[in-house]
Amino acid sequence: MTDQGIASRTPNRTDAIAAATAADLPILELQKLEKQYFGTHALKPTDLAFKAGEIHAIVGENGAGKSTLIKLLTGVIPRTGGDVYWHGEPVALGTPVEAIKHGINAVHQEVVLCPHLSVAANIFLGEEHLRFGLLRHRNMVREAQKILDDLGFDLPAHVTLGDLTIGQQQLIATARAATRGAQFLIFDEPTAYLTRKEGMQLFALIRRMQASGVTIVYISHRMEEVFELADRVSVLRDGTLVGTREIAETNENELIAMMINRSIEQIYHKDSFEFGKPILETRNLSGDGFEDISLTVREGEIIGLYGLIGAGRSEFVTTVFGRHAKSSGSIWWQGEEVNIRNEKDAIKLGIALAPESRRDQGLCLSLPVSLNLNLPVYTKLSHGGLISKTEESSQADRQIADLRIKTSTRSASAASLSGGNQQKIVIGKWLNHGAKLFIFDEPTVGVDVGTKAEIYRLFSSLLSKGAGIILISSYLPEVYELADTLHVFRRGEMVATHQFKSTSHEDILTKALGSAPAIPNSSGESSS
Amino acid sequence: MSVDTKEPVISHKKRYNILFGLTLFALLLVLWLVLGLSTTTFWTTNNIANLLRQGAMIAILAVGQTFVIITGGIDLSVGAIAGFASTIVALLLANGFPIWAAVLITLAIGLGIGLFHGFGIVKMGLPPFIITLATLTSLRGIGLLITNGATISINNDDFTNFSRNDFLGIPNLFWMVILVGIPAYILLQHTRWGRYLFSVGSNAEASRLSGVNVNRTIYLAYTLSSVCASFVGILLATRIGVGNPTQAEGWELQAIASSVIGGTSLFGAVGSVQGPLLGAFILATINNGANLLNVNSFWQRVITGVLIIVIVYFDQLRRRRK
Repeated sequence: MTDQGIASRTPNRTDAIAAATAADLPILELQKLEKQYFGTHALKPTDLAFKAGEIHAIVGENGAGKSTLIKLLTGVIPRTGGDVYWHGEPVALGTPVEAIKHGINAVHQEVVLCPHLSVAANIFLGEEHLRFGLLRHRNMVREAQKILDDLGFDLPAHVTLGDLTIGQQQLIATARAATRGAQFLIFDEPTAYLTRKEGMQLFALIRRMQASGVTIVYISHRMEEVFELADRVSVLRDGTLVGTREIAETNENELIAMMINRSIEQIYHKDSFEFGKPILETRNLSGDGFEDISLTVREGEIIGLYGLIGAGRSEFVTTVFGRHAKSSGSIWWQGEEVNIRNEKDAIKLGIALAPESRRDQGLCLSLPVSLNLNLPVYTKLSHGGLISKTEESSQADRQIADLRIKTSTRSASAASLSGGNQQKIVIGKWLNHGAKLFIFDEPTVGVDVGTKAEIYRLFSSLLSKGAGIILISSYLPEVYELADTLHVFRRGEMVATHQFKSTSHEDILTKALGSAPAIPNSSGESSS
Repeated sequence: MSVDTKEPVISHKKRYNILFGLTLFALLLVLWLVLGLSTTTFWTTNNIANLLRQGAMIAILAVGQTFVIITGGIDLSVGAIAGFASTIVALLLANGFPIWAAVLITLAIGLGIGLFHGFGIVKMGLPPFIITLATLTSLRGIGLLITNGATISINNDDFTNFSRNDFLGIPNLFWMVILVGIPAYILLQHTRWGRYLFSVGSNAEASRLSGVNVNRTIYLAYTLSSVCASFVGILLATRIGVGNPTQAEGWELQAIASSVIGGTSLFGAVGSVQGPLLGAFILATINNGANLLNVNSFWQRVITGVLIIVIVYFDQLRRRRK
C-alpha cells in the first residue's frame, strides 16, 4: 500500500467500480439523511445518489447545509436520521477513521496536516516507509517528490509544510488524499486560496483521478468551475436539496434561481430612518485584499457589503478599524480626514466592530454578563484605580434592560446565554462606550431564525439613536432586505452599488460570482 | 510563487537549523575558552571531569523532558522521580538486592509512573501540567513516608564507585549521557515513533485522521521521560552515596530550561536531542564557572534566568520573521 503511487494501485479498484457502473449502482446513496441540532435542522431529510466515477458538484449559499453534508459523509459528526449506503451496503460513518477505511476522503478548505513536518512526512504520515524499523528518510522524500512531479505540482517534497503558502498546502493535501486509495473524494471550496496556476494543476489532478475511477464531490461557489468540471450538480438551500441536474441540461441562471430562497421570510424587520450627516467616508481606499473602495455611511443608514468569502469585505472593514494599514486612499470621520493607526484609534473615534466569530473574538465566555458589557468602559467606572461596584452593576442592569438581554442575573456567565443574547452583549458593550458606527461581520452566522429577527430589531434601535451600520453578510437575503445601500464586492473590488431593493437577487449574485476567469490571479485574497 | 519558492525555502531552513546547533556549540566553546583564560582551575582534568558529571544528570532529564515537550506537554515530576528513585534503589540495595536487580526494579517503577501520567492525560483527561504536578508533590511525600524522613545510606562500594570511575578517560556518568543520547536520537529522528511525537505535537487531529495512535504516542512520551528520570535517580544515588526523597529539588525546571535553551518549543513539534544536551552543559558550565570565579551562587540563578530569556527571545525573533 505504502510504496505505490496512484497508477499502480488503481487497476483492481477500477475493476470494482466498472462492475458497479455496469449495474449503474450508485457508489454512495443517501436516504432521508438528516442532521438536527437541538431541534433545528442543519440538513433536512435528503435523498441523493452519487454515481461511481462522476464529478458531482454541490452548490448553495453559505449556511445552505453543504458543510453539514460533508461532515456527515466523512464521519466528523454523527447523523440524527436516515441511512447511507456505500456500494449498496448500509454504513454507519460514525468516525473519520471509518470513512477513511471505506475510501471516503475529504480535502478541506482549511488544511488538516502537520505544519511542522516536511511535505514528505505529511504525505506518508501514518504509512511511513521503514527498513529494520527505521525511517527511510531519503526514500520517502524521493517517493513523495515523484508523486508531486507525477501530479505536475512544482513543489519540493523535503521542505517544512508550514513554509508553503496555504494554496500549496492545499495541493499537498490533495496529493496525499490521492495516494491513499480514496475512492470517493470530497473537495470543499478547494480553489479559495489557490492561484490560477495552482487551480489549473488541481483541475488536471481531479480529471485524472476521475479517469482512474474515483468519484469526486466538488463544492464551490464559483459557477464557472462547476460548469468546467462537473458531470452533475446538486443545489442545496436552507438545508434542503432543491434538485439535481445534468450539467449539460442546465445553465447558470437556473442554478442561481434554485440557490435563492424566493419566499422572503418575515424575519427581516426594517424601519426607515431619515439619513443624517455622513459618519464615515472612504475615498479610493486600498489595502491588502481590496482596492479603490469609496463609500459613505450616514446616520441612520445600513450599508450592506455582499460578496463571496475572500472577496475583500472583511479586509476592508478591518482596515477601517485600524487592524491593517491602508496602502492608499483616505478615511473621513464626520467630515474630517482621520488617520486610524490601530484599533484603539478606531474605538476612540466611535467605531465598533462586532467580529465574525463572536465566541472567539467578542466575548469572555466564562465571565459574567456584567463584566462583558462593561469591558470597554472600565476606565470610566474606576475611581483612583478602584472599580465602583455600584456603578458597574447599575450600568450593566441598564444595558440588560435597554437591549432586552435575556439573562437570569447580570452575574450569569456569558456562556449560559443564547447566541442572539450573546450577540447583544457584543453590540451592547460598544453602546456604553458611545460608538457611532457599528460594523457587523456576518452577525447571524450560526444563529436560529428567531434570534436573527432579534438581532435585526437591534439594528433598528441603533439606527434610531443616530448610529450608522456596515453589515457584511454572505447571505444574500439578509443584506438585500436590510441594507439601504448595497455594495457588491468581488475579488477585492467594488463591482456594483444598488439602493434598497433596486435590483434582483439574480443580478446581485451574478455580479458577485462574476464571469471572469475561474480562478483568481493572485493569492493575495485571504479569507474573511 | 510555486516555482520560485523551491530553492530559497530549503537553504534558508537548513542553514538555520545547522546554525542554531552551531551557535549553541559555539556558545559552549566560548564559555570554556573564557573560563580557561580567566581562571587557572578550569582546564584541569579534575574540573572538566567534575563538569561532565554535573551536567550529565540534568542532560539526561532534559532529553526525556524534550520528548514530552515535543508532543506539546510538560513533565514537572522528573526531579521528584529522580529523588524517589534514589530512595528506592538505596532501599533495595540496603535490603540485599544485587545491583542489577535494584536498578531494573527502580527503572520499572519509573516506567509505571510514566504509564500513570499517560493514563491521567489520555483516560482521565487531566492537563499534563496538573497530573505531573500532582505526582511531583505526592512522590516526595511517599518517599518521606517510606523512609520516615531519614536518609538511606548505601554501603555497596561497587555501586558508589561507579560515578567516580572513568572509562577511556571519560567519567562514567558522561558515558551514560551517550548511552541515553544515541538511542534517543535514533528514536526521535529515525523511527516512526519519533515522527509521531512531532506529528501529535504539530496537529493531533491530523495525526489521528492519518491513523496515528495518538494515545499511545502520549504514553510513549511520558514513559520515556519518567524512565529517564528514574535512571537519573539511580545515577544520583551512586554520586552522593545515599538515597533521599528530597534530593533533586528543582531539577525539573533545570531540565525544562536546558530543553528550551536547546531550541525546543514549548508549543510543541519543535525539538531535538542534541539541543537539550548542549543546553544542559551550558547551564552546568555557567554554574561551574561561577563557582570557580567566586561569583555569589545567588547570581548563578539570575544569570540562568537571563540566559533563558535571551536565547528563547532570539529564537522567537527568528520564527516570527518567517
